[in-house]
Amino acid sequence: MRTLLRSLALSVLLAAPALAQEEAPKADLLSPSYGLMAWTLIIFVVLAIILSRFAFGPITAAVRAREKALEEAIAAAKRDREEAARLLDQHRAALDASRGEAQKLIADARVAAERVRSELVEQAHAEQATVLDRARQEIESEKSRAIAQLRREAVDLAIAGAGKVIDRNLDQAANRQLVESFLASVTPAAVSSSR
Amino acid sequence: MKTGSLVFALLLAAAPLGAQEPAPHAATHEACGAHDPGDIITPHITDSHCLEVPGFPKIWEPREVELPRWAPIHIGSHELDMSPTKHVVMLLVAATLACLILIGAARAQARHTDESGHAKGFAGGIESMVLFIRQEVALPNLGHHGEGYAPFILSLFFFILLANLLGLIPYGSTATGNISVTATLAIITFVVVELAGIRAQGIGYLNTIFYWNKDLPMWMRIPMFVLMTPIEIVGKLTKPFALMIRLFANMTAGHIVVLALIGLIFAFKSYLIGTAPLFMAVAIMMLELFVAFLQAFIFALLSSVFIGLIREGAH
Repeated sequence: MRTLLRSLALSVLLAAPALAQEEAPKADLLSPSYGLMAWTLIIFVVLAIILSRFAFGPITAAVRAREKALEEAIAAAKRDREEAARLLDQHRAALDASRGEAQKLIADARVAAERVRSELVEQAHAEQATVLDRARQEIESEKSRAIAQLRREAVDLAIAGAGKVIDRNLDQAANRQLVESFLASVTPAAVSSSR
Repeated sequence: MKTGSLVFALLLAAAPLGAQEPAPHAATHEACGAHDPGDIITPHITDSHCLEVPGFPKIWEPREVELPRWAPIHIGSHELDMSPTKHVVMLLVAATLACLILIGAARAQARHTDESGHAKGFAGGIESMVLFIRQEVALPNLGHHGEGYAPFILSLFFFILLANLLGLIPYGSTATGNISVTATLAIITFVVVELAGIRAQGIGYLNTIFYWNKDLPMWMRIPMFVLMTPIEIVGKLTKPFALMIRLFANMTAGHIVVLALIGLIFAFKSYLIGTAPLFMAVAIMMLELFVAFLQAFIFALLSSVFIGLIREGAH
C-alpha cells in the first residue's frame, strides 16, 4: 500500500511539469460542452422512456405476476392441507365408530352362540333322560312278562310231570294245590339255578 | 466554426491555465492522432472529435477516425454545436447496449416465465439486478407510492453503469468522466426531484424553498426566514452538485491513476522495475471495475434518497 502511494505521488510529480506545459486540453476537463450536454439529455430521456416502456415494465410485471402465482399456490396448498386434515379426522372418527360397532357385533354373536349351545346341551340332556327312562320301562315290562311266562311254563311243566304221577294214584285237585304251594315258595332264581 | 471556437476560447479564458494561451491554437482543429506523444493521459480522459477504432492486421490499421462536424444549431441568440464527439458516441453505445441487454432480458424473462415459471441464465441475472435496484434501493427510499420513479432510478443506474464500463474496455472512453455528462445527469435528477416535490406536496413545496416556521413567534420568524432561505436554496443545489462532482471525479481519477501507472512502466524503461507498476495498474483496474458499479449504485441510491426526502417533506 505504501509503495502504491509512493508511486502515485511520484507519478503526480512526474506529471506536474507536463500539466504546467499543457494549456488548452487540460483546461477542457472542467469546462462544460453544451453540445455534449444536449446530447446527454436527449440520449438519457429517450433511453429512460424506452427502457421503462419495454424493459422495466415487463420485468416488474412478470415478477409481480410470479409473486402473485406463488402466493396463490401457497394459499391453495394451505387450503388443501386443512382440507386433508379435516378429512383425516373424519375418517379416523368413522374408523373408531366402526371398530366399536364390530366389537359390539362380536360380543353379541358370542352371547347368542353361548345361549344356543346351552339350549342344545339341555335339550340333549333331556332327550337322553327320556330315552333312558323308556328303555328302563321296556326292560322292566319285558322282564315281568318273561317272568310271568316262565312261571306259566313251569306250572305247565310241573302239572304235566305231576299229572303223569297222579294219573296213577292221586286226586288231581289235592295234588295240584300241593304243587302250587311249593312253587310259590320257590324263587325264580332258585328255579333257574335248580334247572 | 468561428463562433463555436469563440465560445470555446471564452471557456478556456475562464479556466486559469487556459488564460495564458489565447485561442488561435484551439481554433484550428487538430488532425486526429496529432497530440503530444508524451501525453497519453489527456487524450484518454478528455472529449474529442476523434474516435479510436479497432484495427485488423494488414486490412485495417488501428487508427483514429475523425467524426463529422455539423454546423451549430441556433436557439434564439445562442448557438449549439451538436457535432458528435467521442463521448457522444460512447453515450449512444451505452444507451444502445442498455436497450439491447435490458429489452432482450425482458423478452427472455417473459419466454422463460411462460415455459418454466421463472427467468433463467442471463435474463435471471439481469432480472435480479433490476429487482435489487428496484426493491432494495429505489422503493424503500422513494417513500409511499414511489413506484412511478423506480424506472427513472433504474434507467440512471444502467445508463451510468454501462457508460462507466465502456471506459474500461479498449477503444472505449469514459463518458461519465466528462463533467458535461455528469452535470446533465445531475440537472435531470434535480429537475425530477423538484417536480416530485411539487407533485407530492403541492403548495407546501414552497416550504422547501422559503423557511417559514409557524411554530416560531413572529419576531423570530422573519429573521429566521431571512437567514434560512438562502441555506435552503443552497442545500437544494448542493445535492445535484455533489452528484455531478462525485461521478465525474471518481471516473476521471481512476483513469488518471491507471494511465499514470501504465506510463510509469515506460518511464522506468526496465522490465524488472516495470512489473511493479504493471501489477499496480491491474489492481487499480480491478478497483475501477468495482468503482464503475459502485458509482452507478451511489448515483441511483442518492437520487432515490433525494426524491424520497422531498416527497416526505409533506408529512
